[in-house]
Amino acid sequence: MNGRPAPVIDELRQVLAQATGREELLGTSDQTPLFGAGVGLDSLTGVLLLREVHRRFGVDVAAEDLNLDALATLGTLAAFIAERTA
Amino acid sequence: MMVKCVIWDLDHTLLSGVYLESGAQPPLPDPAMLGVLERLRGRGIIHAIATRNPPEAARYAARVTGLEFAAAECGWGRKSDAVRRIITDLGLAPDAVAFVDDDLYERAEVSLAVPEALVLSPEDMAEAVGWPEFSPATVTPEARRRGEMYAERRRRQEEARAFAGSRDEFLRYCGTAVTIAPAVAADAPRLHELSVRTHQFNTTGEAVAEAALRALIASPAHQVTTVRLSDRFGDDGLVGGSIVEFGGEVWGGRPPEASTAEFGGGVWGGRPPEASTAEPGPGRVWAVTLLMMSCRAMGRGVIEALLAWLARSAARDGAAELAVPCLVTPRNVPLRLAMAASGFRAAAGSDGLPSPDTPAEGGPPCGPAARFSRTISGGSLPELPDWVTAPGEP
Repeated sequence: MNGRPAPVIDELRQVLAQATGREELLGTSDQTPLFGAGVGLDSLTGVLLLREVHRRFGVDVAAEDLNLDALATLGTLAAFIAERTA
Repeated sequence: MMVKCVIWDLDHTLLSGVYLESGAQPPLPDPAMLGVLERLRGRGIIHAIATRNPPEAARYAARVTGLEFAAAECGWGRKSDAVRRIITDLGLAPDAVAFVDDDLYERAEVSLAVPEALVLSPEDMAEAVGWPEFSPATVTPEARRRGEMYAERRRRQEEARAFAGSRDEFLRYCGTAVTIAPAVAADAPRLHELSVRTHQFNTTGEAVAEAALRALIASPAHQVTTVRLSDRFGDDGLVGGSIVEFGGEVWGGRPPEASTAEFGGGVWGGRPPEASTAEPGPGRVWAVTLLMMSCRAMGRGVIEALLAWLARSAARDGAAELAVPCLVTPRNVPLRLAMAASGFRAAAGSDGLPSPDTPAEGGPPCGPAARFSRTISGGSLPELPDWVTAPGEP
């Protein structure tokens, strides 16, 4: 039920660090908000993140989630991916 | 994000087969890609080759396509290294190149190593040839400076890569200055151009005629706003704008097709300004009938600054809600990201939106129009960075 396998989270951390060019984000918790202060995901880094998620997991978040709620945290994103790749 | 150089794979991409496996008679050019090359001709875009073939394959490709390639990387190393060498050799910014390869692995490898590049399959390329990234420049001052802006952007990105710190710290370090101001009639040509050229950050996807813009600028029932951007690397000029319609019930979920043609055809609720029932006062809705920004300003805090200022202005006006009707397309995902980051939400299942359960098969499930909004009263207002100059702000 709880679809957050650790390997997906770890891979998402790498994707996030790559998209933002900030290695320190490898330590992002699965509860940290991606929008707003801290990670500060914006349209540029968000697109890079979504593109890489689509490429690695075959999940097109933007096409399925109008409000992009899946991008709330790495945990919600991992769960969104897990639901669609199970 | 104009593509200045397309870097081509050969086997099963630019060529219709595998060069080394075809013996005495190498494969002919792929007809679809030959069609793409024909359409790109005359747009000032250069071409290069990155192939796991001997150099004679590149010469063969040049001969059969009739194209002069600006660079050719032939060898067995990683494709991303070949792409980087071409970028360096030609003095391009990484995001000024597109890489086309039929092989999923190669595309993944390049997009991971060179995330700024536009990475496309041959099928994608056949469609992308119509995108603005591959379209020629126009004639505004911003368009004339486009070449210089690429050089400026390259320097900015080089520093961004070396910069240790958050995006906000980098924007501050660059001396970013965003100026939000009421539009004047002289802004109409550039605003019109933005309405035509912007796709990733555009809520309606429809051109607004200069005459319609001038009428809106003069209308007391509307607020037309310009956004200018500069930093110490250069001046990007007028990069964005918005049109707000004041009123009580300004957006009844009409699709954009329903807007009246004589009023520019692009502004939702396209009534003549006189017909608007706008009255200042508490409780009314501010409806953003057009929000647009050049993708060159992407990642530089501009769209977020505009959205924050709109929310703060609406609050000062006593409005209850800031609504942004938005045509949802696969192209304007960056806009949706900016709106999500700025606290906007779409009303689900209304106004032509499919339910969240709509399967995603065959493209975006999102309906033609969604109504994004954020409440103004009661909630906390977004901060405006001190590098933004705007009406009504200290």
